[in-house]
Amino acid sequence: MDATTSSLGGPAGPTTRPAFDPRRAERGPKRANWRAFATAARLGWQMEANWTDPLLFFIYSVAKPIASALILVVMVQIISGGGPAAAQGRAFVVIGSALWAFVISGVQGVAWSVLDDRERYRMLKYLYVSPTDFLVVLVGRGVARIAVGGMGAAITLAAGVLFLGVPFDAAQADWPLFAVVMVGGLVAIVALGVLMAAICLQTRQESWSYPEAVAGALFLLVGAVFPLAVLPPAIQTVGLLVPLTWWIAGVREALFPATISSVGGNGSLYTDVTGQAAPGAPAIVLALLATTVLVTLTAALIFRISEARAKDRGLIDRTTGS
Amino acid sequence: MAGSILTGRTASGPLAAAAWDRRAILLNDLRSVLGRAYPRVIGLRREPSWLLFEVLLPFLTTSAFVFVYRALQAPPEYLGFVVLGGAMTAFWLNVIWMMAAQLYWEKDQGNLELYFAAPMDLMAVLFGMALGGMLSSCLRAFVVLVVGTALFGVTFSVEQWGLLLLVFFLTLAALYGLGMMLSSLFVLWGREAWHMTQLLQEPMYFVSGLNFPVGRLGFLGALAIALIPLAVGLDAMRQLAFSGTAVDFGTPSPEVEALILVGMVVVFLALARVLLRTMERLARHEGRLTVRGR
Repeated sequence: MDATTSSLGGPAGPTTRPAFDPRRAERGPKRANWRAFATAARLGWQMEANWTDPLLFFIYSVAKPIASALILVVMVQIISGGGPAAAQGRAFVVIGSALWAFVISGVQGVAWSVLDDRERYRMLKYLYVSPTDFLVVLVGRGVARIAVGGMGAAITLAAGVLFLGVPFDAAQADWPLFAVVMVGGLVAIVALGVLMAAICLQTRQESWSYPEAVAGALFLLVGAVFPLAVLPPAIQTVGLLVPLTWWIAGVREALFPATISSVGGNGSLYTDVTGQAAPGAPAIVLALLATTVLVTLTAALIFRISEARAKDRGLIDRTTGS
Repeated sequence: MAGSILTGRTASGPLAAAAWDRRAILLNDLRSVLGRAYPRVIGLRREPSWLLFEVLLPFLTTSAFVFVYRALQAPPEYLGFVVLGGAMTAFWLNVIWMMAAQLYWEKDQGNLELYFAAPMDLMAVLFGMALGGMLSSCLRAFVVLVVGTALFGVTFSVEQWGLLLLVFFLTLAALYGLGMMLSSLFVLWGREAWHMTQLLQEPMYFVSGLNFPVGRLGFLGALAIALIPLAVGLDAMRQLAFSGTAVDFGTPSPEVEALILVGMVVVFLALARVLLRTMERLARHEGRLTVRGR
C-alpha cells in the first residue's frame, strides 16, 4: 500500500492515517487472548489503585481484612481468655479470615467488572463487540482485585504471626504443597467470580452487594473460622464439595501445620467416613483438584448461558437504578 | 398563570407562583419523599433476586459467627448478641450503600443536577431513599432475628419494652441522620467515595462491637459509643434484650445511651442540613458537583 491510498484501497484523505496491518487480524487466538487479558488486568489495576496516593490505597486495602480478623480475635479472646486454647483458636481464625480476603476480592472482582462497565462507565457494550473474548476481558479485570485481596491477606497473616501468636516457621512449611493449593484455590476463586458475573449480567444495578453475600454464605460452609465438625452433617457434606474448603485446609496444612484441622476432627463427617483424624496433603490436593474442575466447568457453562441470554434480551447495555 | 398543580391556587406571575406557603412546601416535600421511595419499592417487586442475595444469604453470614461462638462453647447470650448484631447490619448497610453513597451514584448517572434543579428539599429526597430501602432492610433484619432466634435457640429477656423500642427507633433516626450527613460528603468525592463504603463495613463492625459487647474494646469502645450510632444503639438494645444476664457490658446504662442517641439524632440531622445546603450552594454557584468521571 502506498502513501496515497487508504487502508481500504481508496484514495487517502487529507489527514495521514496509520496503515492497516493485516497481521493484526491474523494472530492466533491464544496470543490475542493473552494480550486482552494483560490489557484488562493493567486497566483493572489502574482503576483499583490510581484514585489516591499509595499510602492511602494501602490503608484502604488492608483495613477490611484486618478488621475482619480482629472481630474474630476479640470474640475468641472474650470467650477463651488467654490460655493455650485461646492461642490455638486465635491462630485458626486469623488464618481463615486472612485467606477469606482473597475469596471476597476474587468473587467481587470479576462480578464487579460487569457492573462497573455496564452501570458506571457504560462501556460494557463496546467491550462486548470488541474482537476479544468477553470472558477473558472480565477475568483480566478481576485479577487486579485479587491482587488487592492478596495484599490484604498477606498483611493480615503477617500481623497474625507478628502480634497475635500465629505459629509460623518458614523452615517447617511445605512450600510445594502451598504452591499447588494456591494455584488450585485461585482458579476456584476466579471460577466463582465468573459464576457471579453470570448472575450480575442478569440482575439490576443494586447487585453490588451480591458477590459479598455469596462469599459470606460460603464463609459458613468452608471451615474458614471454625472447624466443619461444628456443623450438622448435611451442611458438612455441602462444605466438602466446595473447593475453598480444601484450599483453606491445604494452606493451613502447608504453612501452619501446628493448627487444628478445619476438615477433620472429632464429630466431623470426614473422620466418620474415612476413619482418619485429618486429611493429609495428597487427599487435600486431590479433593481440591476434583472440586475445582467441577466448579470451573459449571461456571464456564453458566456464564455462556447467561451471556447468550443477556445478548438475546438486550441486557448488555442496560443501565438500571433505584 | 394557570393554577398550580400543587396548591390549586392561581398566581399573578412567576415570582408569585414561586412564593410557596408552608403547606405547599410540606406537601411538595412529602411528594418528593414518596416519589423517591417509589422506584425502590417497585424495583424490589420487579426483580425478586434480592430476596436470596440480600435476605437469605446474609443470614448465613450471621450464622457463621454464631457457629464460631458454638465452637468456642460460649454462653448462650453471645449467640443472641450475634443475632441482634446481624439484624442491625441490615440498617447500617442500607444507610451506607443506599443513602450515603447514593448521591455519588446519582452524580455518576447524571441525575444529581436534576435533583438540584427540581424545586424540592434534598433532605426529602434522601428521606425517600431511606424509606424505600427500609422495606428490604426490615425484611432482612426480621429474617435474621426471627429465624436466628428460632434456629439457634436464642432466649431474650426484656423487661423494658418501651425503652427497647425507643432505643431502636432512636438508633434508626441517628443512623439515617448520619447517612444524610455522609451523603453530602460522598458527593464531593470521586472514586474514594466508593472505597469509603468498603471502609465503613468491617472496620465499623469491629469498633461497633457487632458480635461482642463493645465495652470489651476499652477506650476504643467508649469512643465508639460516643460517636457511632450503631455502637451505642446496639449496646443499649443488648442490655435491654438480655436484661439479667451475667455478661458484664462495661458501658453506660440503656437510659444514658438513649440520651446519647438523642444527642446524635439532633447533631447529625443539623449537620446534614448544613452540609447539604452548602453542597447545593456549591452546585449552583460552581457547577462542579455535577461533573462525572473522576
